[in-house]
Parts: sequence; C-alpha cells; structure tokens
Amino acid sequence: MLGLALPIYLNVTIDLLTAFILLSSFVMLSSKWISFYIHAYGIQSFLIFILTLILGIETQSVNLYMVALLTLLVRCLAVPYLLLNMMKKFSIKEEINLSIKIPASIIMGLILTVFGYFLIFRLIHNFAPDIIINSAAIALSLIFIGFFMIISRYTTITHILGLLVIENGIFLFSVILTPTLPLIVELVVLFDILVTVVAMLILSIVMKIKTGSLSTGMLNRLVG
Amino acid sequence: MKILIVLFLFIPFIAGLCSFVLKNKRVAEILTFISSIVSLSISAAFLIYLMSERGSAGVISIFNNAVVIDKFSAYIVLLVALIYFLSSMYSISYMKLAVKNESVTDGEFFRYYLLINLFALTMLVAPILNNMALYLIDIELTTITSSFLVITEITEKSIEAAWKYIVVVSSGISLALLGTVLFYLSGNLHGVYGLHVSSLDWTVLSAHSSYLNKDLVKIAFILIVIGLGTKVGLAPMHTWVPDAYSEAPSPVSAMLAASLENVALYGIIRYFNIAGGSTGFNYPETVLVIAGIFSIFVGIMGIINQNSTKRLFAYSSIEQMGIISLGFGLGGVFGTFGALFQMLAHSLSKPIMFYGSGNLLHKYKTKEIKNIKGVIHTMPKTAFLFIAGALTLVGAPPSAAFIGEFLILLESFKKSDYFISALLIILLIAAFIAILAKLNSMIFGVSDGNATIYDVNNVQLKTGDFGTASLAPMAIPLILTICLGLYIPLPLKSFLDGIVRIIIK
Repeated sequence: MLGLALPIYLNVTIDLLTAFILLSSFVMLSSKWISFYIHAYGIQSFLIFILTLILGIETQSVNLYMVALLTLLVRCLAVPYLLLNMMKKFSIKEEINLSIKIPASIIMGLILTVFGYFLIFRLIHNFAPDIIINSAAIALSLIFIGFFMIISRYTTITHILGLLVIENGIFLFSVILTPTLPLIVELVVLFDILVTVVAMLILSIVMKIKTGSLSTGMLNRLVG
Repeated sequence: MKILIVLFLFIPFIAGLCSFVLKNKRVAEILTFISSIVSLSISAAFLIYLMSERGSAGVISIFNNAVVIDKFSAYIVLLVALIYFLSSMYSISYMKLAVKNESVTDGEFFRYYLLINLFALTMLVAPILNNMALYLIDIELTTITSSFLVITEITEKSIEAAWKYIVVVSSGISLALLGTVLFYLSGNLHGVYGLHVSSLDWTVLSAHSSYLNKDLVKIAFILIVIGLGTKVGLAPMHTWVPDAYSEAPSPVSAMLAASLENVALYGIIRYFNIAGGSTGFNYPETVLVIAGIFSIFVGIMGIINQNSTKRLFAYSSIEQMGIISLGFGLGGVFGTFGALFQMLAHSLSKPIMFYGSGNLLHKYKTKEIKNIKGVIHTMPKTAFLFIAGALTLVGAPPSAAFIGEFLILLESFKKSDYFISALLIILLIAAFIAILAKLNSMIFGVSDGNATIYDVNNVQLKTGDFGTASLAPMAIPLILTICLGLYIPLPLKSFLDGIVRIIIK
C-alpha cells in the first residue's frame, strides 16, 4: 500500500485523475455511438497511464514505470487502434441498442458508484488513508459500471469495452492498493487483454459475416 | 524430471502446429494421438515419482518454484491427460464423419486439430503453475482456445454459444483476478505479527495463511468462488455451460465437461485451503456447500426439462460439479476423499456420454431426444456402451461414481447434517430417474424389433456401428470405472489420502 504521508500535491493529483477516470466511464454510459465509447476508453486508459507514472515517480519503482509504459502501449494505443480499425474496415456506423435508456443508465451509474464507495469503506477503512479509499472506491465502481455496460447494451463492441473497463478497474485497484504486485502479473494481464480483445474481435467479425449485424439482441436461439 | 516437464509442455504445442502446417489429415490425426499418449505417460510418470520413495517430499519444484507439482496437481494433470487421450482417439472417427456428413471444410478440420492440442496444452499447464495470477490467465487462455473450438462448425447457433461463453467466462475470470489481488493485499497489511506475505504463490500463501487479514480473505474467497465458479459451471453462473457443450463437437464437449471443470475446481480448492488456514474451515466450507447444493438443484431441473441429448449431459455436469463441491464443502476425510474420487468418476463417465451422443448425432443427424428412437437396433454396440455409461454416470453400483457419492453422503451423516443428506438423496434419485427415462426412450424406444427406423430427414437408417475409433474411447473408461467401483487399488487410495492431507491440513 502507498505510504500514509503523501505530499499534498500528490493527493490533489490522484484525486483529480481518478475523478476524471470516473467521468470518462460516465461518458461511455451517456453515449449512443460506438466510436464515442472507444475514444472514451482510450482517454480513460491514458489517465490511468499518467496516474501509474506519477505513482512510479513518487515511489521510485522501476516496475511501475514498466507497467505504465505497457499500459500506454496496450490499453491506450493498441486496443483502441484495433477497435477503430475494425470499425473502419467493416464500415460500422450502427447505433447501440440500449435495453436501459441513457438517463436511467446515468442514474444507475451513480448508484453503483455510491455502492462501490460504501463497500470499499467497510472493507479497508481500518487501515487505509482517505486518499486510498477514494481511489479504490472509484476503481470498484469502474468494475460495476463495466458489468452494467455488458448487461445493458446489445452490441458485441460494447461487450468488449465493458470487459475492458472492468480490467481497467482491476488494474487501478491493484496499482492503488498493492503497488508492489509482481511485475509478471501485470505483464500477463496485459497480454491476456490483448489476446482476449483479438479473439473477441475475430468472433464478432465472424458474427457480422454470418448474421449481418453486430447486435447481440438476436442471439436468443439457445434456450432451455 | 526437468526435461520431462519441458517435453510435457512442448509436445502438444508442436503436435498442434505441425498438424496445422502440414495440411495432411492422416498426419494430423496421428500426431495428435501420439502427443496425447506421450502426455498421458508423462503425467503417469509424475504420479509414480510422487508415490515413490524419492518423491517422498511430496513435491516436484523446478524453475525457481515457478512450476510446482504436488500430489493434487499431478492428479488433476492425469485426469486432463486421460481425457485428452480419449478425445484425440475419438476425434479420428468424429471428424471423419463430420467431414462426410456436415460439410466441415479442410480449413475447419486443420483449425480443429491445431486448437484441440492448444486447448489440451493450456489445461495441462494450469495445475502445475505455482503463481495463482498466472493460473488465472491460463484459465483465460483455455477460454479463448475452447471458444474457437466451439465454432469448429460455423453456424449461427455455435457463434451464439461461443459469444456467450467468452463474455460470461471472461467477466467471471476478471472477478477472480480481483479476488486474487485482494488475497495479495490481505497478506500485505500489517497483520498479526507485522509480517508481510508478499507473494501470490500458493505454496507461500498456504504456508503462511494464518498471517492473512481475515475480513479481506472472506471477501476474496467469495470473489474467487464466483469467478472460477463461472468456469466450473456452478449455478447461478452456469448459463454458458449448456450452450457451449451442446454446440461444440463431441470430443471437445467431453474435454470441456470432464477436464476443464476439474482444472477450474482445482483453483477453487487451492484457495479453499488458504482461506481455511486463515479464517478456519467453517467459512469456506459453508460457501462451497451452498454453491454445491444450488448447483445440484439447478442441474437436475435442467435435466428433467430437457429435449436435447448434449444439453442433457451438460446439465448433468453442472449437477456432478455441484456434488463434488458439496463433498469438498462438507470437508472431513470422507467428504474430501469422496469429492476427489468423484472427480475421477465424473471424468470417466462423462466422456462416454458425450462420445455416445456424437455417434447418435452422426447416425440420426439430430440432437433432439424425441427424434432418436431404437438405437439398440441401429447401433447395438454404441447403445450398450451408452446405457452402461449412463448407469455409471448416475451412480448405480458397481461404479466409481457410486463410491464417490456414497462417501459424500457418509460424511453428511457423520456430521449430522441430516437436512443435506435428505436433500442429496432426493436430488440424486431424481437425477437417476430423469436421465434413465430419457435414455430409455432413445435406446429402446421402438416396440417392434423389425420396424424400420428413420433419421430426422426421413432417410432409412442402416444397421451398424462406426468402427473402433468411435467405440474404444467409450469402452476404455467404462471398464476403468466399473473396476474402480469394485476395487480401489492400494496405491491410489494412499495417493488420494495424501491429497486429502494437502487440502485439509
């Protein structure tokens, strides 16, 4: 865990960055266009990269530098590039089918954020300073919002982005709470993200070719 | 031993790659079969080494403790390698018929042989990894390889199954990853003696489990059960199981049902051991008992209301996994031993059923139970093996499943959990009746032996089985499970006792 006595400017920076990270996930919830989602995800990953870099500089840990660099390469550049490239190649301009409308989604997101805060407060308030509780709560609410995105949007791309937001939440959680996590773990998690995204993209391309759409609303044949 | 492990990791990889690159059907079949035999013999070698005098320390650890094989890992590896062996043998017959009947193209054929080897490799690697985060990532890789195996034949249904599979399981695994991070955090707080357990290796966590923070371990264990339980197919995270198992080719369904579930359950039990050492075994045992009972219930409800053969056995897997986690949850020597033995029994019985369904699918061109009639007249050998396999699956004596379920029941009586015993007996009887009633209508469903039997396209069926490669994979596990039902060899018993001591130390 981070030291108890962080300098004041660092407190402010971490608070600000995590607030923006939360905001970017709300941008995703409030949009109907797929490209918006992808850009918001890229910005979110970039903010997480800056946060990791700052923490690396503060704790002077080479591991965190490496992790930050790889985050920039994989989460911030490679994954959005793959997604946007695929959208351009298949000229996908679909709106997303929402099962829950945008205002209700935002209210739901707020509820999940508050829930995440209380959960994390109950869990770690005995031994963690306020700054850690705030950031960990935002990380947890990212995980919840990711799950909410998966269940409330009927497109393969938003399923992928929902999973990616969950992974971002877990990554933020582990960077804030356990900066000493072995480097190998972060490396394989990033590798895993890349492989999963590629696999899911191939599946959605196959789906697009076979059914003519990326909507998952029609996947209702297998029941019972 | 080091050479053996490296060989063990490379053989399936090379076999898969060669069968993809060489583009020769015969070569692909033979390479996969040889690779599976080598994997099976090496995993048997691990087992023999650990039982021998030299392996009395109980672990093989190499690469600076990155790879640690103890008795539990060796047991799971053996189960995986066994199913790999059977499935690679059955694939020879299945894929030949699939090319003939269902217009599987050459590209799909070679992709199948590439992926089945990679899938086996990822499952063989998972139990021998020491680092729990690496283990989880490996489980994620099994998801990816097997989801592409599900779409071996690209249809709208199989794409739906694969998509559900990959989305549900990936989100489950990310929850398990969160649980792992929490386990790491719980060792990094200023605990009882101000000691830090800065490791994700289960050997370290298990040895120092009393230093972990109890509240965090409780939450983390729940997250692990939800996350890996998705992969195991514990209810209510089982939604992908029937879809993926029914749409995958039969050899893959058998691998998914009989070995992948064991590999995922292995992870839960490792954490079970760590959480038990930290909070006392009462808490994790309760979690597993609740998950187990609910899975048995959901599985049997699915069986009763089922009209497709492969979905029937998928729900039966959910039920069997429920029984196994109930066994681990009840704890004690009998419960744990019974659960371990039930793992073996399930791994032997379930492939028979999936291979049998594969034969029926090729003969009748359908998976609908009501369209399959009179198998005993059209395919007598398959019918015999199929019904005998079903009897061993539902736990009729003499079979390994009977011993396993009986031991689990015995533990519940021993602990005076009469509610659980009564529930388990009722649910097991319900499963017995439901599965045998469905199979009865399929196997013996024609009143007159001379009546002509038609498949789903109204083509008259010729009598005859498909040949050795389709029958031997059903006969081998059947003989094994009946022998184990009659007599448990002493080395196996002492080996399983050793695993019990590892889990509930």
